[in-house]
Amino acid sequence: MSETFTKTMARNIFYGGSLFFILVFLGLIFHTTRVLPERDHRENITPQVVLGKKLWEDNNCIGCHTLMGEGAYFAPELANVYQRLGESKDAIISFIKYRPAEGVPGRRSMPQFNLSDEELDALAEFLKWTSEINDGDWPPNIQG
Amino acid sequence: MKFSSQAVAKPYFIAAIGLFTLQIVFGLTLGLQYVLGDFLFPEIPFNVARMVHTNLLIIWVLFGFMGASYYLVPEESDVELYSPKLALWLFWIFLSASVLTVIGYLAVPYATLAEITGNDILPTMGREFLEQPTLTKIGIVVVVLGFLFNLGMTILKGRKTVITMVLMIGLVGLAVMFLFSFYNPENLVLDKIFWWWVVHLWVEGVWELILGAIMAFVLIKITGIDREVIEKWLYMIIAMALITGILGTGHHYFWIGTPDYWQVLGSIFSALEPIPFFMMTLFAFSMINKRRRDHPNKVAALWAMGTGVMAFLGAGVWGFMHTLAPVNYYTHGTQITAAHGHMAFYGAYAMIVMTMISYAMPNMRGRVANSAKAQSWEVWGFWLMTISMVLITLFLTAAGVLQVWLQRYTDMPQSFMVVQDQLAIFYWLRFAAGVGFLAGVGTYIASFFIKGEAVGLANAAR
Amino acid sequence: MQPDKAITTHASRQLPGDLAMWLFIGAELTAFALLFMVYASSRALHPEVFAQGQSQLNSQIGLLNTMALLSSSYFVVNAVASVKAARRHWAIGHLLVAIGFGLAYVVLKSIEYYQSFSAGYGLTTNVFYQYYFLLTGFHYLHVILGLILLTWVTPKVAANDYTVGNTSGLESVASYWHMVDVLWLVLFPLVYLLH
Repeated sequence: MSETFTKTMARNIFYGGSLFFILVFLGLIFHTTRVLPERDHRENITPQVVLGKKLWEDNNCIGCHTLMGEGAYFAPELANVYQRLGESKDAIISFIKYRPAEGVPGRRSMPQFNLSDEELDALAEFLKWTSEINDGDWPPNIQG
Repeated sequence: MKFSSQAVAKPYFIAAIGLFTLQIVFGLTLGLQYVLGDFLFPEIPFNVARMVHTNLLIIWVLFGFMGASYYLVPEESDVELYSPKLALWLFWIFLSASVLTVIGYLAVPYATLAEITGNDILPTMGREFLEQPTLTKIGIVVVVLGFLFNLGMTILKGRKTVITMVLMIGLVGLAVMFLFSFYNPENLVLDKIFWWWVVHLWVEGVWELILGAIMAFVLIKITGIDREVIEKWLYMIIAMALITGILGTGHHYFWIGTPDYWQVLGSIFSALEPIPFFMMTLFAFSMINKRRRDHPNKVAALWAMGTGVMAFLGAGVWGFMHTLAPVNYYTHGTQITAAHGHMAFYGAYAMIVMTMISYAMPNMRGRVANSAKAQSWEVWGFWLMTISMVLITLFLTAAGVLQVWLQRYTDMPQSFMVVQDQLAIFYWLRFAAGVGFLAGVGTYIASFFIKGEAVGLANAAR
Repeated sequence: MQPDKAITTHASRQLPGDLAMWLFIGAELTAFALLFMVYASSRALHPEVFAQGQSQLNSQIGLLNTMALLSSSYFVVNAVASVKAARRHWAIGHLLVAIGFGLAYVVLKSIEYYQSFSAGYGLTTNVFYQYYFLLTGFHYLHVILGLILLTWVTPKVAANDYTVGNTSGLESVASYWHMVDVLWLVLFPLVYLLH
């Protein structure tokens, strides 16, 4: 009997194999969402944190920064910025607040977003909450 | 070209090439901003230019996929397209939506754009690659649904082949996964988990089906190899793509607050992700080696082989390089990621679209293949772009290795900006390679305008 | 159908069943091999956690399961041989027994899982249980997939879809089932016995 490589078998493996792995994946995702509260500390998501995330998105911060390593690689990682700036919300706030509108000659500079004090506080709260997520001890050191 | 309705692919391809060129121009802008930090500041800050760069990429590749499908499906199904008129309408809707969105990005601050497009009602904006206003996202869904309807009706009334089935599964998957872009929970971790369902399950999932189907179609056409052989290869490649790629999503769940077991699963399955790309390379080369006829369109075969090799290198090798959790712990979110992203996207998706354009465009212009002179210009464009992309990848990799070392690995880690300054030499080299890439794009576009004696239907004999 | 020259000549060492299935089996074996390696290296890093976890496992059930899978594989071998000898009824009987042993495995393993869950162990308990549940759970799902395949081919045998000289589909499923068995033969000593 000679070997075979049939289209039917290839097709069955495509459909069967894919379905199998889709189900495994969905099962694991389900499990993940079940155990997630222990790691994301969602009980600390205050209305301020929610507003902070909204501001993070509305100003496209991810277009320069990374947050837990995801985003653009033009500006520093921010998942641990709270710790990097000495666990100080004020330090985060004043950094954002006093960006020169016209930038720094020859250097990269963060734009001036003209946020209100309430918004600045919310953004800092969001970054603080993010820094407390259990993310497998990433980044490796304080520099991000 | 068997059916006149296939010609609706032409405007899609032209738009794809136009937007591609614009993407590269913005890429060069970004490259310059990496070394001259205040370049175009504050008019076009980095985040805006980057958003234009990445969104244009997604949009032009979608234009390419749509054009490829409109060309391929009628020919495979052996009937005219269900509604060429709908295809043209959708083209203009999609193009205007894309152009308006890009103008919106450039004309007003992003926060203003978010406000005037109703991001407060259904917030979906401001996440990487999904920066489009919610209205644009809805527009994309409408266009894609119309597109799928048009293709579906064509397939239903015609012949059903493996290629059209695989293509349709890929395109429906593309549409379904995109729906997750409307899900933006307040919890950042959940947001990230499902954000990857769009991003990863697109490029390392359903898009590979689309890639495979287009590749199979072009190979059947230019090699004359038996459909039966091509189809079983196609099935095995896409089977491997999904078997490895779905759990491979785990390599994005290492450091975003998800449980530790993803580090194990993500590492193992994404370590296997090069397999389908390797098979794709073998597939393209062995089919072309065993070709039953010498198709006069040589450059289309070059694109097909190039797609295989570059997708394997970019997605396979460069992906594997930093996919194991212990390695990724140090390389995550550095220039290594950027290096991989550039070569993988170019090798897999930019090149497959150009493979299809290279094959289909001459047919739509009433010839089997372009003149030898035009083809040689296209070959130059191919090599200029491809070599430049290899260089871009190598320079970014070098920058990334140094960045990881200085910022993450040594006992005396230095701060992000201090490290960036030390990488300047590699960024300059990357910029130079980028200029080379733009020259390649120019050469490629020029090839469409080169005259000379095209290979007509009459003299296309074996 | 036109046979693919390159592929048929490469596989001239006579694999039973379909080459497509062997590609799949190859991918699965690689995934499991990597899992075993990661398990072993993690064990070397956390010897106490693993020793403590392993001592809690029920190796009696593990041994029973080993016998169940081995017997099942044996009956599948007989089933294929029976089809090749044109003894269809005999083949169906063997397949049914093989499925029975497979189901026994699933039941026993489920009992074992139930005991672990009741004792409060789960995927995120500690590094040992993470690997224990990943390895055995992933294998458990493969047993179920294998059983679905066996259940799918049995009526096809009954309908005379496989004839002497045309057993490739059946052999492919049988090969897959043997793979599931072989994986357990590595997994069982690795996780249960090797202290």
